[in-house]
Amino acid sequence: MEIKGSVALVTGGGNGIGEAVVKHLARQGARVAVVDMVQKNIDRVVKDIQDLGGEAIGIQANVTSEADTARYIKGTLEAFGQLNIAVSCAGIIRDGTMLSLDKETGQVSKKLDLAKWQAVIDTNLTGTFLCMRDAAEAMVNGGWEGLLVPISSVNKAGQVGQLNYSSAKVADALMPKIIVGEFLMRGIRKIRCVAIAPGYTATPMLTGMNQEALKAILEDVHLGRLVAPEEIASLIGYCVENEAINATTIEITGGLCYPKGIAK
Amino acid sequence: MPSFSYNDMTFTVAPRGDRWDISYALPNGASALVGAGLFKGLAEAEAAARARALIKTIFPVGIKSVGPDVAHPNTIGDLKIVGPDVTHPNFIYWTKDSVSCPKQL
Repeated sequence: MEIKGSVALVTGGGNGIGEAVVKHLARQGARVAVVDMVQKNIDRVVKDIQDLGGEAIGIQANVTSEADTARYIKGTLEAFGQLNIAVSCAGIIRDGTMLSLDKETGQVSKKLDLAKWQAVIDTNLTGTFLCMRDAAEAMVNGGWEGLLVPISSVNKAGQVGQLNYSSAKVADALMPKIIVGEFLMRGIRKIRCVAIAPGYTATPMLTGMNQEALKAILEDVHLGRLVAPEEIASLIGYCVENEAINATTIEITGGLCYPKGIAK
Repeated sequence: MPSFSYNDMTFTVAPRGDRWDISYALPNGASALVGAGLFKGLAEAEAAARARALIKTIFPVGIKSVGPDVAHPNTIGDLKIVGPDVTHPNFIYWTKDSVSCPKQL
């Protein structure tokens, strides 16, 4: 599928990886819908696309809402008349171990709050499901060629302190196998699904963290630096254009290793 | 350059080459883009009509009701005070007041 002339929507398109994906696809000639929770981020990115001479709309939406999902799909179709690429970048973290113990008594002093669990599952898993489901519905009913891109994470392998996040991201990584299997079963041949699992990426969330902690993280990355959001966007662009990439999850980590040099 | 009000906001549809940009006025007097480079080749009247339809989709008007968060009450003795469920997808954080005042009856 050619990027030029296609229509893409990107949730979480207002910053980080999502913003990079929006701009990469717009530079390649796609028309883009920027979906985000934060209106001022949407405004900034749509203005940047205008400055690039591109075509874009911005839609403020909560990806966990079924009604908002229907609204941003409808808005995209009203603006551009079709939909070909859906990238689900919207995500949050609410880290914490499942149990915390009192150092003196050894008894449980704190449990992972249900609200922390639910918020991450709602945004990172249900939000992705709603985006993939309704984007696929539009593509099938419109008869358009398409690519669905859930954003997983290298932490799908299971990151301590991220039971909620890793659980959601491993589920996101499974989506391509199941969705494409179902498409085959239903005779849907023109829509592919490829998940992307980034490693530690230079988004505001990581670049703003404690620099000593960041340095320790980078010691386990063969590349020796954070992955740039633009590198992830470039990979997604490649996936759009290469039809043989399908029903799989691709890691882009710069070579994330366990200490002592064993690749994860 | 068509301009119109909807949902307490003022929108403008302006040409850029053979395309149209839709912007809206921010409370601080600046403007922000709803869309850029849209409706290629359409005449002004048709672009304005398409813009109105798109804006009604992007900025819906209405009231969403949110149920109480009974799982997380604040308690004072035996009394349980239940707030709105802020994790519910219909819950909206209002960040500014509407510029319209309610009608005095």
